[in-house]
Amino acid sequence: VSSPAEAARATAAALQALERRGLNATLHWSAEALEREAARVAALPAPGALQAMPIALKDNIVTDDAPTTCGSRILEGYVSPFEATAVRRLRAAGALIAAKTNLDEFAMGSSTEHSAFGRVQHPLAADRVPGGSSGGSAALVAAGAVPAALGSETGGSVRQPASFCGVVGVKPTYGRVSRYGLVAFGSSLDCISVFGRTVEEASRVLCAISGHDPLDATSLAEPPLQLPAPRTDLRGLTIGLPREYFPADLDGGVRAAADRTVEALRALGARVVEVSLPHSPYAVPAYYILAPAEASANLARYDGVRYGPPRPAAPDVQALYRAVRGRGFGSEVRRRILVGTYVLSAGYYEAYYGKAQRMRARIADDFRAVFADGVDLLFTPTTPSTAFRAGEKTADPVAMYLADIFVCPVNLAGLAALSLPIGRSEGLPVGGQLIAPAGGDALLLSAAAAVEAAVDPAGEVR
Amino acid sequence: VTIRREDVLAIARLAAIDVQEAELPVLVAQLNRIVGYVAQLESAPAGDGTEAFVPGPTALPLREDVVRPEPLSRPPAELAPAWRGGYFVVPRLAAMEEP
Repeated sequence: VSSPAEAARATAAALQALERRGLNATLHWSAEALEREAARVAALPAPGALQAMPIALKDNIVTDDAPTTCGSRILEGYVSPFEATAVRRLRAAGALIAAKTNLDEFAMGSSTEHSAFGRVQHPLAADRVPGGSSGGSAALVAAGAVPAALGSETGGSVRQPASFCGVVGVKPTYGRVSRYGLVAFGSSLDCISVFGRTVEEASRVLCAISGHDPLDATSLAEPPLQLPAPRTDLRGLTIGLPREYFPADLDGGVRAAADRTVEALRALGARVVEVSLPHSPYAVPAYYILAPAEASANLARYDGVRYGPPRPAAPDVQALYRAVRGRGFGSEVRRRILVGTYVLSAGYYEAYYGKAQRMRARIADDFRAVFADGVDLLFTPTTPSTAFRAGEKTADPVAMYLADIFVCPVNLAGLAALSLPIGRSEGLPVGGQLIAPAGGDALLLSAAAAVEAAVDPAGEVR
Repeated sequence: VTIRREDVLAIARLAAIDVQEAELPVLVAQLNRIVGYVAQLESAPAGDGTEAFVPGPTALPLREDVVRPEPLSRPPAELAPAWRGGYFVVPRLAAMEEP
């Protein structure tokens, strides 16, 4: 274990090297800030659970000592007057806040190509995307600059980039981690989530930031998670394979890695059964009604008065709002605000939003039914393919949205889920996903440790 | 449903977002693509119930009705371009309204 000062110096050197490579994973960091963090941690009265662990933060999680831009021109230079509860808990646990990381603007995207500050490169293949929207955090962990990072999920934005980059990504049960200080996108979906090089590192960070927070009314009234003992086998557990997540057109490499992992689950002693989640194929269309609807309301505050860049000359206040928002938001954010405004508008509300709300209830019912039927965990591929090429999906928003087809049902249902590397296909990482019922975070983490120990994360599968 | 150029302009006005003439053709095509895709829910078996699913606590807790200091790391006076006598000084928006 290195001292805080040594950890800070090593992290600064690693971040600098990645900058020279052009990864573009960070938006704000400095060697001086890391030194200050090291001094602060060294002065703590007792070592914390994350003593001297450098952790990066997605730049939609507010800190009071560095800007929070959300990857948007509209928040360029903004420094929050308060800190997110998750950040306060990290600092109290002895972590070094290492950097703020690049992201799709306001966390809207699946490739981290929609940042106002340029796209993030995949750490293993510069011409590919790291996934998104938390692509900067995933890339930093995968490149070895930090052992862990925070991201956020609204529709899979940690598990999907974790899968693409070959690291662990865990999304806790909705409400397990306070949203206080996470810039709002879709409030009924948003969830601070964690990347780690290993299940153990991600688990330690999740435990440190979890627990009830009176500053978030949707926070669960539960104490912080205790680090569960890692399981060495899966005996006594039933693991379901939802057939809708293994479609005929699944990428060959992803299928081979998933098949190999299913064999590992059996070898670990789990009972493996096929199940059905019949409404999951409707999760992406439901999500792309509900999330833009919530975004259109949440992002109304960026109007050039409450938040936003210096005011352009405008003849009236409405023109001011339109000019600031028209210039300040990028193309994907504007598209989603427009879609959200459309589906909430008079005459369309019931046909779109009402129907999507009912579909969300059906999707959650499906999960509840399989868990009530004796299934302890579900296993699926995390993504239908490995990391795609930069620019491959930017012209067709729906093709981009479908990159999240296996991850966003979990967000709609508020469950806990984790992606871990289960092999490589043509050199690119493949992720496997374990899904637990709401509140099943400890079982998820302990079972994932057993799977991690049984599967070669870097082994070629075809 | 087909979204036309005029529809996009009307939605953009509701959303308070300026849209340039040159971007309209692409925006019209993309919004049609997205809305056409999500419209598959119309024929999906979602049931006729009115219940909505909301994750998180089953009941939202109420806070005590007491004034607490905001956990701010900088005082309010530093949060606005101008501050006088304990108040934010902001533009007189009414003066900017169209007559």
